[in-house]
Amino acid sequence: MKYQNVIIRWSKIATLLFVAMVLVGDIFGIPITQYICYIWAEVFDPAKFAALAVVYYLGTVGTYVILFSLLKLLINMGKDVVFDRCNLKLMNIIAYTFVAVAIDCIVGGFIWSGSFILAILALFLALVVQSVRVVFDKAITMKEELDLTI
Amino acid sequence: MIIVNIDVMMAKRKISSGELAQKIGITPANLSILKNQKAKAVRFSTLNDICKALDCQPGDILEYKED
Repeated sequence: MKYQNVIIRWSKIATLLFVAMVLVGDIFGIPITQYICYIWAEVFDPAKFAALAVVYYLGTVGTYVILFSLLKLLINMGKDVVFDRCNLKLMNIIAYTFVAVAIDCIVGGFIWSGSFILAILALFLALVVQSVRVVFDKAITMKEELDLTI
Repeated sequence: MIIVNIDVMMAKRKISSGELAQKIGITPANLSILKNQKAKAVRFSTLNDICKALDCQPGDILEYKED
């Protein structure tokens, strides 16, 4: 139990570190997008640069949603609220946001092809989260039945 | 669906919910779940204790009704 609590605590810290990283990414969004656009993609069209910046910032919004949902999930786990319907809702939010981020990355892929790899990665993560959600759903149904067995 | 007629038997035997819950060793909250048709399953041991406490047969407590 103590070991699990340590893992949850470190996971929360890691999530907050990721939030900080995304925040830094947001602050330096324009130079990062310029670097991706001009150096990696070798595209010098201002319209494409603007489109890539929009894709970049939409991606960070999605990342915030994922990270804060994950943080809420970890807080629930820390409070021993594990097999609860609210956790299923959070996992659903995470999975669908990953899909949205993947679509965003696909759009970005038309400017910088490396973005397609990120899209595939996001879709894979959505699949993993959705699979865990299905397992949780079944476990919650079983727990509810057990709770209502007199 | 299965209907739990435990309250009918309780009325016949003139026994209160608290008293029955104490006799069969379940919480009043669980007895309430059983009475309000919210239970998903009943253990044989619980059914045995209810029948013993109310001096009846399982058929007196459980009834099948078409949905």
